[in-house]
Order: sequence, then structure tokens, then C-alpha cells
Amino acid sequence: MTIGLNEFILVAGLLFAVGLLGVVLRRNTLVIYMSLELMLNAVNLALVAFSRYNGTMDGNLFVFFIITVAAAEVAVGLAIVVALFKRRQTVMVDRLNALSH
Amino acid sequence: MTDSQTVLAILLTPLFSAVIITCFLRRRGTLASILSVSAAAVICIFTAMAISSSGGEPIRVSADWLHFGDFKVSMGFLFDGVSMTMLSMVAFVGFLIHVFSLGYMADDKSQGRFFGGMSIFMFSMLGIILAENLIMIFVFWELVGFSSYMLIAHYFDTDAAKLASKKAFIVNRIGDLGFLVGIAFAYWHFGTTNLEEMRAAVVTNPALIDWTIAALLMCGFIGKSAQFPLHVWLPDAMAGPTPVSALIHAATLVAAGVYFLVRITFLFPDSVLNYIAVLGTGVAFYAGCCAYAQNDIKKILAYSTLSQLGYASAAFGFGFPGIALFHLVTHAFFKALLFLGAGTVIHGCHHEQNIFKMGGLLKKMPITSITFLIGMLALFGVYGLSGFYSKDAILIAAGFDNKILFILLIAGAFLTAGYMGRLFWIAFLGEPKSEAAANAHEGKIIMLVPLVILAALSISGGWLHFWPQELGGIILEDLKLQKADDHYDHLHHLVLIWGTASWIVGLLGSFFFYGLGAKEDRLKQTVKPLYALLKSRLLIDEIYNYYVAKIQQRFALFLNALDVFLIKGVFVRGSGVITFLTSTCLRWLHVGDIHVYTYWFLAGLILLCALATGVCF
Amino acid sequence: MLDLLFYIFSVVTLVAAVLMVLLPNAVNGAMCMIVSFLGTAALFVLLESYFLAVIQVLVYAGAVMVLFLFIIMLLDVDKEGGIIEYKNKLMTGASFVGFALFAMMVYSLFTGGHLPEPNLLPVPENPIEFGQDVPLTTSSKSFGYSLFTKYMLPFQVTGFLLLSAMIGVIVVSKKQEDS
Repeated sequence: MTIGLNEFILVAGLLFAVGLLGVVLRRNTLVIYMSLELMLNAVNLALVAFSRYNGTMDGNLFVFFIITVAAAEVAVGLAIVVALFKRRQTVMVDRLNALSH
Repeated sequence: MTDSQTVLAILLTPLFSAVIITCFLRRRGTLASILSVSAAAVICIFTAMAISSSGGEPIRVSADWLHFGDFKVSMGFLFDGVSMTMLSMVAFVGFLIHVFSLGYMADDKSQGRFFGGMSIFMFSMLGIILAENLIMIFVFWELVGFSSYMLIAHYFDTDAAKLASKKAFIVNRIGDLGFLVGIAFAYWHFGTTNLEEMRAAVVTNPALIDWTIAALLMCGFIGKSAQFPLHVWLPDAMAGPTPVSALIHAATLVAAGVYFLVRITFLFPDSVLNYIAVLGTGVAFYAGCCAYAQNDIKKILAYSTLSQLGYASAAFGFGFPGIALFHLVTHAFFKALLFLGAGTVIHGCHHEQNIFKMGGLLKKMPITSITFLIGMLALFGVYGLSGFYSKDAILIAAGFDNKILFILLIAGAFLTAGYMGRLFWIAFLGEPKSEAAANAHEGKIIMLVPLVILAALSISGGWLHFWPQELGGIILEDLKLQKADDHYDHLHHLVLIWGTASWIVGLLGSFFFYGLGAKEDRLKQTVKPLYALLKSRLLIDEIYNYYVAKIQQRFALFLNALDVFLIKGVFVRGSGVITFLTSTCLRWLHVGDIHVYTYWFLAGLILLCALATGVCF
Repeated sequence: MLDLLFYIFSVVTLVAAVLMVLLPNAVNGAMCMIVSFLGTAALFVLLESYFLAVIQVLVYAGAVMVLFLFIIMLLDVDKEGGIIEYKNKLMTGASFVGFALFAMMVYSLFTGGHLPEPNLLPVPENPIEFGQDVPLTTSSKSFGYSLFTKYMLPFQVTGFLLLSAMIGVIVVSKKQEDS
């Protein structure tokens, strides 16, 4: 295929930007979390692209580990969100703020 | 005991006494006084032992004290002929004054403090006499200044005493600044501050003599021995008790300055010596004039001390340090006698110090008056008494050197006889002019014995043949030097004539001018402007006061404002403000709002991008 | 042919991602997320790392998103009315940065200044020789070899990580006993 590395990187970058916007703009904790996963996903894509075009195995391996760690992280994070919801009865970020300002 | 142990014991005995008094005997005045007097006696005994066992050879002891790389400070003793002479004088006169104060301070409430101060003073003075290097001298110099400060302020509930002690200390300090710079200079120049090593260096290489070192070290002398312009503290120091005035401000402390000069005489080039001679003569004449306008018996004696110190420093300036030392010794005898006599008079007249309120004391206090008279005659330099020999030698030395100074010194002799005569006729003869004088009583026996002994010494102190052979070596050398000169015989006669004339004229003149037991100062009544001029003492005190109050105070206030503004305001409070601002800014990091955290992440991300692309840094 | 596939799948991924961010309903957002992950998996296939594509579908789209859906539905969050509120200037500024990032990347696609592109070499089926570095192949044998030689330590550590994550989840979600 004639698609070069740059196009893949562009896609990854755009995904990342979208994820960033999601983190910044949304107020729902779960949606913020999903945008975070989106950013991780973008990174995965970039890594695999680099690995393919440079002809090494390292990028793929790295993605393998990222996926693993992301899965573990999601598990723990969601458990925390559930505990938080039990305590505060809300997941809206602006209402979760307990620090007096 | 070995020689060095004896010398060490001489130094440490008064220190031991002072420490015991300070720690335990503050309230037990009598015990303190006995301890202090015993310490003084022990010093005398040890001095005699040390001198006799030394056999005329110097005793040298040295111990290293501090090391700073190459710079070594050692503490040690150089017990040679000069210090033996001085030590004997200080120890003996000190002992007599201690005995006198047993009687004088018997009804004082804080005897403990007084005798503690006296012991510390003896320790410091002995340290100066025995020291072998400049730094050790300086340490004890400062200690002497401190003891003087403490003792002058003995009656600290009077303002006069407090102010006088402060003045004494501060003026001394100004001189000591020059001293300290001189020590640093000397070390830099010679590589050592040891007196013997410096002398050896100068003897082998006379080109090493530097007038700046001499001039700077002279500053210490000017401060301590109350030469112009730092003479202002001595008359005020009379606010202390009389034994203090006798010991410190007549016999020993003020003599320490001249003694110091004698110790470092090898460092002085001719230019500085000439300056000292002029200075000494000036003070001798000036103080003689000022004494005419004083009514307090102690102040008159203080100006007399100033004048005699001028004579001694003039002798040094003419190149005869031995003569200066000789004059110190004889001056100690008769001045201490005069002060102690004045003390007895004051004590007897129930603390009346104005001579115009005394009178007729000869009848009431015969022994005191006779000894006072003997002291006076010794001061005038009457033939045969101790003062004659030393003053004679000084005048001859002046004659060798400079005609004008010679005339001034002779005039000073006239003045001396004049004002002392004034004192004697008014205070001791005539009719009592106040209740206190009318009820005057003779002093206790314990106060009279030192007077008698000192009178005997004033008479015989000048007969050098009777001195122990270890003492006075330098004096005899200088006298021989004088005799060897061509002009000696002619000058000797001249001085004899003029000297005798001066005291006779002065005595009779004051007798006729002032009269016996006068009520009012006749000079004040007749020649008012002259009296006012003499009383003003050239307004030096007023000049200093003006300088301190207006100039120095303003500068100090300016510095204070700078300190408050700059250091406290900007640096101390400023750094606090900066920390506060920083913490306020950092607080924004922790708001609890997740989005704000993401904004901070974003900011970090942007920074990283900027760094990576090379936009900044 | 492959180029066309690339364009399609990247569009799908991006559009799904944007939708996920914009949709007010969280469940809808989660579904779009799944689509995005599937698109990414397709991109992985295009890059000839088949193993990772499958892992992506299994773990990410399968386990992680399902978990998300569970929690979203468990917590039963109401619709946020008007998700994007430009309430404060900071939000505006931050979103501006995000948009700028977006725009910059699009821009850089059409202008020059690309990084030097390496040529696409064909990838062998099976690994032939193994040295220090395992060569890139399409089979999972390479994965296995690398994991147990070069990446042994991260492998073990990841094992521990998973264990601690499990324990953590159990601890966090334990019911508080009211004594």
C-alpha cells in the first residue's frame, strides 16, 4: 500500500486530540474516562504504525503491555467510580468537588 | 617553685580572688575585702620572690594558644628589667591602695563588687606588664578598660558615674581601634607580634621601622593615657570612688600607655617621636592651665595627672624611654599619695569635694595634711624628693631637643606649683568654710598607714642607688646617656635654677593671689574672661558632644532607617511576601475540580511541545 | 485497494470518536466507542499485526467497553442537559488548545515537511532466525519469543500488576461493615 507512516500518525494524532477535547469538555466522569481510553488507543495506533514501518517487534510488544495495563486500570478505576457514586450519589465532576473554594 | 611558676602565680592570684568574689562573696563585703587585700599582698610577695630569684636575667615563658594556618597566637611572659620595675611599683602601690580602701569603703554597701573589680583590675594590669606579644597586651588592654568601666560606675545610682564610665570606655575604644589596626599591620610587616622577635628584626635591619605601625600603635597609647585629643575621659572618671582614682587613674592604668610605649620603643622612628614630644608638652601645658578653673579637689588632681602624663610622654618623645618609666614610677608614688590624701579629706569632710567649702584642715587632720604636703613637694620637684630626679631628667632631655618645648615644660612646672599651691592654701589652711569642714576628723589608722608609707616613698623614691639592682636598669642607662652629652652640665645647672624657681614662685604667687582659706576663686572674681577661658578647657568636650549628638546620631538614624526599610522590609518581609505569593499561586493547582487538573496537564503538554520543537530554551 | 480501506476505516474511527465526545447520553457514547475500537482494530490489520487486532477486539471492545456499559447502566446517570457549557474562560481556553492541536495536524498533512518515511518492507510469515532482536513477522510466534526473552521482566511485572489490580478492585468495592 502507498499509505505512508505520516498518514497513520495523523490519524493517531487526531484521535488523541478528540480524546483530549472529551476530557476537557465533558462533565460526566465516565465519559471523561472513556475519552482517556480513546487517547490510549491513539497511542497504540501510533506505536503499531512505527513498529510496522521500522521493521521491529518492539512497538507491538509495547502495545501488548499497554492494552494489558489499560484493562487493569479500567477495572480499578470503575470500581472507584462506583464507590464514589455510593458515597456522593453523583458522577458529575463539578458536583463532586469537596474542596471549598 | 620555678621562676616561671612564680610569674604565673603573680598573674593568676588576683584572677582567682576576683572569681571567688564574683561567685560567692558578692554579699559578704568584709570577706571580699579581706580576700582582695590578701591577694594584693601575695602578689607583692611573689613579685619579690620572682625578682630576687631571677638574678637580673629576664624570665621568658611562652605557650601557644591559637593556630590559624600560619598565624600563631601565643600567651607568654617577658619578665625583663622594664617589667620588673613596673611590676614592683604596681604591686606595691596597689597593695597600699587596697589597704586604704579597707578603711575608705568600710561603710559602703557594695564592697563585694568593688573589691571584685579591684582584683580583676590587678589581674588585667599585671597581664599588660608581663605580656610578651602585642596580641596578649591587647587582650589585657581591653580587660583593663573593662575593669575601669566597672569601677568608675561603682556609684551607679548617680548619673555622673554612669555617663563617666561609658565615656571612659568609648574613648578608650576609639584609641584601641588604631591599636588593633596597628597590630594587624605589625604582624603583616614583621610576621610576628612577639616583642623580642620584633626587636631582633629591627636591630638587624633598621629599615624595617615603619612610621605607620608606630603611629597606629600610638593611638592605643593616646586613648589609654589620656593624651590629646582623647583626654576627655580622665576628668570625668573622677566620679568613681577615690581609691579607684588613685589606683587606676593615677598610678597604673594611665601609666599602662606609657609603659606600652617603653616596651615597643624600638619601633619608633624620629618623626613619630617628635610628634609624641610635641603632643606631650602640649597636654602638660594645657592641663596645667585647665586646673586653675576647677573647684573639685579630685578634678584638680586629675588635671595634674594629665599634665604629668604629658611630661612622661614628652620624655619618651625626646628619645629617653627610661626617663619616662622613671617618671611613671615616681609619679605613681606621689600621685597615689595625693589622691589617697584627698580621699581621706573627702571621707573626713563627709563627702564634701569642693575646695572652697573646706578649710583649716591642717589643724583638724594633721597627718593627712603633712603627707599631702610632702606629696605636693614631690610633684613640684623639690630638690632631693623623688619627683625632682625624674622631672629634672625630663627637662634636661627637653633642653637637648627643642628650645620651645623646654620653655613650655618649665612654664608647666610653674603652673603646677601654682594650682597645687592654690589647692593647698584654700583647702588646708585658713578657716573652715562649711559645717562639714568644721567637723572634719582624722582618718582611721588603716587609712593613714598607706599615706605615711607612700610619703616615705615619695621622698626616697628617686634615690636610684637604693633601688634593688635588678630594677631600673633602663633608667640608669638613660641617665648615663644624658650625662655623657656635651651640653649636660650647662643644662643641668639651668634646670636646677629654673626648677627651683618655678616651685617657689608658684607657691608664693598662689599664696599671695588666692590667700589662705579663700571663700571664692579670686581669679574668677578679677579676671573673668581668663577664668572663663580656662574653665572651658578649649571646649573639646562640647565639640565631641556636638559631633556625637548631631552628626553621628543623624548618621546612626539614617542607618537605622536603612535597616528597617531595606533589611527588614525588603529582604525579610519581602521574602515572606514572595513565599506567600508563590503559595497562593500553587494553591490554584489544588482546586478539586477535575477539569482544572486537566487544564494544568494541558499546560504541561504545551510546555513540553514548546521545548521539543525548540520554540523556547 | 488497501489505501481505500485505510481511508474508510480511519474515517469510521474518527467519526465514532467525535460522536462519542459529543453525544449527551453516556450509553450512546459507549456504543460509539466500541465502533471506534473496531475501526482501530481494522487499522491494526492493515498494519499486518493480526495478533494485536484480535487482542484489541477481545480486550478493549469486548471486556473494557462491556465493563463500561455495565457501570453506566448501573449508575443510571441522567442525561446532562447541554453538555458543552462554556462556563468559564479556562474551559474555553483549554478547548481552544485541543482544537488547535486538531487543526495543526490536519494542516501538517497537506503541507510538506514530513518526516523521512521509511519504505514498507514485506513482512515474512514465520520467523527464520532469532538473534538478540526477534524480527517482525505476522505470526504470534514472534510475540511469544520476544515476551519470554527480551521482555521477560515487563511480562512478570505485568503479572503482578494484574494481581494487585484484582485485589484492589475487591478491596475498593467491598461493602463497608457498619459496626
